[in-house]
Amino acid sequence: MTAFALLFTLSAIGIAETAYLIRERRAGEQPVCPIGGGCHEVLESQYNRTFWIHNDILGFLFYVSMAMLTGLTVAGIGPVFFWMVIAVAQVTGAFVMSAYFFFLQWRVIKAWCFWCLMSAATVAGMVLVFALDRLTSLQTL
Amino acid sequence: MKQDAPYHILRVGTAITFLWIGVLILREPEFWGGFLSPWAADLLPVPLTQAMLGTAVLDIVIGFLLLIDVFVWVAALLASIHLGIVLATTGINAVTVRDIGLLAGTIALFWGGLPRDIRLRIKHWRHKQPPSAPPPAS
Repeated sequence: MTAFALLFTLSAIGIAETAYLIRERRAGEQPVCPIGGGCHEVLESQYNRTFWIHNDILGFLFYVSMAMLTGLTVAGIGPVFFWMVIAVAQVTGAFVMSAYFFFLQWRVIKAWCFWCLMSAATVAGMVLVFALDRLTSLQTL
Repeated sequence: MKQDAPYHILRVGTAITFLWIGVLILREPEFWGGFLSPWAADLLPVPLTQAMLGTAVLDIVIGFLLLIDVFVWVAALLASIHLGIVLATTGINAVTVRDIGLLAGTIALFWGGLPRDIRLRIKHWRHKQPPSAPPPAS
């Protein structure tokens, strides 16, 4: 239950963050960059889309889907095991994407975007929660 | 309207609370319905479980609107009314005492998220009130 609450909280933080980025982009404004100043450089770079879809939209869909999967699992609605399999697959994919974006910022664009790093930290947090949950359930066997 | 960081921290924190409580009510509607005072439960036009499921959906909708920063003042107003009803129908106990803080938070979000024109209209309406006493003639 604690693991699900944490995953849900992390998903909600991700939704708020990506919704903000989408709103600012649609309004044609630059998002506030609380730490550092490379947000604009990264968000306006040629790498801001994956398969012709903006990364903020993909992130938003990922976080909404994670919140729904966690919520459905906790509420016990539908095939719970199947939801968890999808959630693990999604988090794995998001972790790979985050690592790729981290590399792009570090070596290719050579600028750091606060919001992109925060999203990467959120996904890393999800991986950590899954790993710790697995570890504690193995110890109780 | 552009807001400061404390407003957004309060908005996201409140949103998570509403979303999560919505999920928990969906999980066990009867348990959460147990907090309702008997007199309030008797007033319900629908069975308790259905009423609680409706509450869960309302909580999730409020939470989602707060989270994506859309119609925050409407969501916060609904949340304030909802929390007021909760406090009135369950009474203040070890669990619901925290709703006082949540209520204060949603009122702050309502006022902070209110569109500028509505806020100005309220201000204008306040200024239209007649002065309490005219200045003495010299």
